[in-house]
Formats: sequence, structure tokens, C-alpha cells
Amino acid sequence: MKDLEGHVDAVASDLEYFRRKRIEPRVLLYLRRGIISWPDLFRGHELAARQPEPRPQPDLELRIRALEDSLDELILSIATASIPSATHAVAIDDNRTERGDYNPEFRLAARTYEGDVETRIELLEMAVAETRHLVASFTGALVHAGEVTEEALDENRRRLGDLGYRNGARIVARAWTDPDFKQRLLETGRAAVRELDIPPGRLGKLGVAENTDDVHNIVVCTLCSCYPHDLLGNPPWWYRTDEYKTRLVADPRETIRDMFGLEIDPERKVVVHDSTSDVRWMVLPRRPEGTEGMTEEELAELVTAESLVGSTEIPPPR
Amino acid sequence: MSGGRFAVGDRVRVRSHAEGGNPRTPAYTKGRTGMVTAFHGVIDNPLDHHHPYPPLYTIVFRVADLSGKTGADLVTADLHEEWLELA
Repeated sequence: MKDLEGHVDAVASDLEYFRRKRIEPRVLLYLRRGIISWPDLFRGHELAARQPEPRPQPDLELRIRALEDSLDELILSIATASIPSATHAVAIDDNRTERGDYNPEFRLAARTYEGDVETRIELLEMAVAETRHLVASFTGALVHAGEVTEEALDENRRRLGDLGYRNGARIVARAWTDPDFKQRLLETGRAAVRELDIPPGRLGKLGVAENTDDVHNIVVCTLCSCYPHDLLGNPPWWYRTDEYKTRLVADPRETIRDMFGLEIDPERKVVVHDSTSDVRWMVLPRRPEGTEGMTEEELAELVTAESLVGSTEIPPPR
Repeated sequence: MSGGRFAVGDRVRVRSHAEGGNPRTPAYTKGRTGMVTAFHGVIDNPLDHHHPYPPLYTIVFRVADLSGKTGADLVTADLHEEWLELA
């Protein structure tokens, strides 16, 4: 691990995103609507208190890795608890009103985690543990209130855990080997992935942008962080950074060079696709040279999460 | 898919304001001119909208028209009909 500060920054930015936009507003909304009550939450807290806390690591690098792992686990718990309500339509779980407007009144205060690296790690460890406690209390409250069953939560967690960019890798490998499938994928998006026994998900339409010798595609969501995450799992962490969002649409070629070290051939056009919740984009990368004899499974192993966003190209196999 | 007011290939300008329009329309497109490259019809997206918005189009803009950078690079954004007018 080279850049300790960079890793800590990424954890802080991700934690704040999920805390302020995904879980705390949802808890507040459920309380406001009466879907759960304060007593439900307190009872949930009693259950949550029994969860073991992870033991601290002595080495700084190991601590950061443990922090990153606990953040991943936290994000999965938040996604699991964000199960649709059986009795109420809950459209939005961040600081938007239900029509989709951003309203600064609803914005939760941001926290900074400042200090030297060790202090920052300590503050983040505490914040992750506290948020984990909140998620566990909230999940317990949902069960108490009869909103969800333990079984439904387990099922949701299992389904989410299976997700990930591997789905994307399989889609790409099939598109490389089966031109008819590729055509269906480009034309129908989600409907085509059923052929691979991948659940197509239902978060708006899936746009697929094919990289060619003439065009390099890259995906962004300038308004928030829309991504076909129901199909491809979470995007790389920098996808949610303001730097990426604002710079990419202003000067795509230079941003790709600066942020990812990828030099796009001047002969190729760069096309940025701005995702919304209605159309979420993925990139179909170019098949690298030297892969002619490879099977679909072997090809899928070459595909990276970054290549599905378009920040990298897939290098030829060594 | 029922028809929309614009066709693929139309040059359209993005309005600066659209009363009651989908608020999630990127600011950098407002007042800018682009071309319709796809028509998606009305999107059924109950998780994010409590009521459906007018039909959706993919609009392609030249980066040169958005930020003044030279070159042929493009940005596509998916915009709802109430934000668009023929250029």
C-alpha cells in the first residue's frame, strides 16, 4: 500500500456518502412516517449491542485494510437494510424530496476526520463502528415493526453479496464471443442479460456503450452516483468524487489522462455518458489482442470493474 | 412505445427552466444545443419518481459546445421532453 492518506481519504469519502445519503436519512424518514417507532429502534439497539466489535490491528497498513473491509461490510448491511418496505412506498433514501428535488434543508451535516494519519484512522474506526451500530439497530427495528422478516433480510443479503462486477465480466465475455448477443445487449440492455441467467434488475434502463477503434466511452453520473449497481455491484470509489464528476464533462480526454493515466489515441473520439436513475450506462470494452483462442470463461477473467466504467482498457493477457 | 415531440437527428436546445420538470437535469446542459440520438419513451421508474415524467431522449453534445474545449469529444445526457425545444 503506497498512499496511506489516499486510502484514508477514500474511506472517509465513502463512509460520509453512505452515512449521510443512504442510512441516516432513511432512518429519519422511517421515523417521520411512523413506519418504525423510537421504541422499535431502542429494541433494535439492544439486539445490536450483542454484536462483537472487530479487534484493532497493531500495524497501520493492516488497520487501513481492516477499516476498508469493515466499510465494505457496512455498505453491504446498509444495502441489505434498504429493502423495499412492505407497507409504504419509499421512493428516495437520501436528501431529496420524493419528487427528486435536492433540498438543502434535508442535508445532514458533514463530518471531517482530521488529524495525522493515525488519528484519522482512529476517528474513522469509531465512525464505522457507530454507523454499524445504527444499521443494526435500524434492521432490528424493521423486524420489530413487522416491516421485514429475518428471512427476507438474509435473502436480500445473500443476493447482494453475489452481485458484483463479475456479472459485468460475464456479460462482456459473452458479447465478445457472440455477435448476436452483443447486438441484443446494445439494443435491449437489461433484457439480454437474462440469457446468462443474471437477474436483470429494475433500476431504470441499462445503456451499453461499445468501445471501438474509433470511440472510447466512459461513464459518469454528474448529479449523484447513478450506476447499474443492481447488476454490476458498486462502482470504483472515485466514481462518487466531485473531481471526477465535474472535470470529466468539461474535458474528458485530459481528465482520463490525469486521473487514470490512460492516453486515448487522438484518432479516437471520447464519448462521456452521463447516467441518471432512468438510464444507467456501462461500457463494453474492446477485446484485447492475443485472446483469439480463449474461452468465454477465460475472457471473463480479464475484465476489470474499472473497464466497465471506461477508465481503463483491458490489456492483452501476458 | 408512443411517440414523442422530437425525432432522432433533431437539433434541440435545453431550456434554462422547466416548471414542474424533472429536477435532475444536469446544469451544464442548460441553454446548450445538442442532437437527439435515441428515444426511450416514458420511463417507468417507481423507485425514484412517484409519477412518470414526459418521454426521455438521449441527447449528444459536443464538449466544444459545453466547455469551449476544442476537439471532437462528446457528452451524452438523458433528458426529459419538457426540458427540450427545437433549435
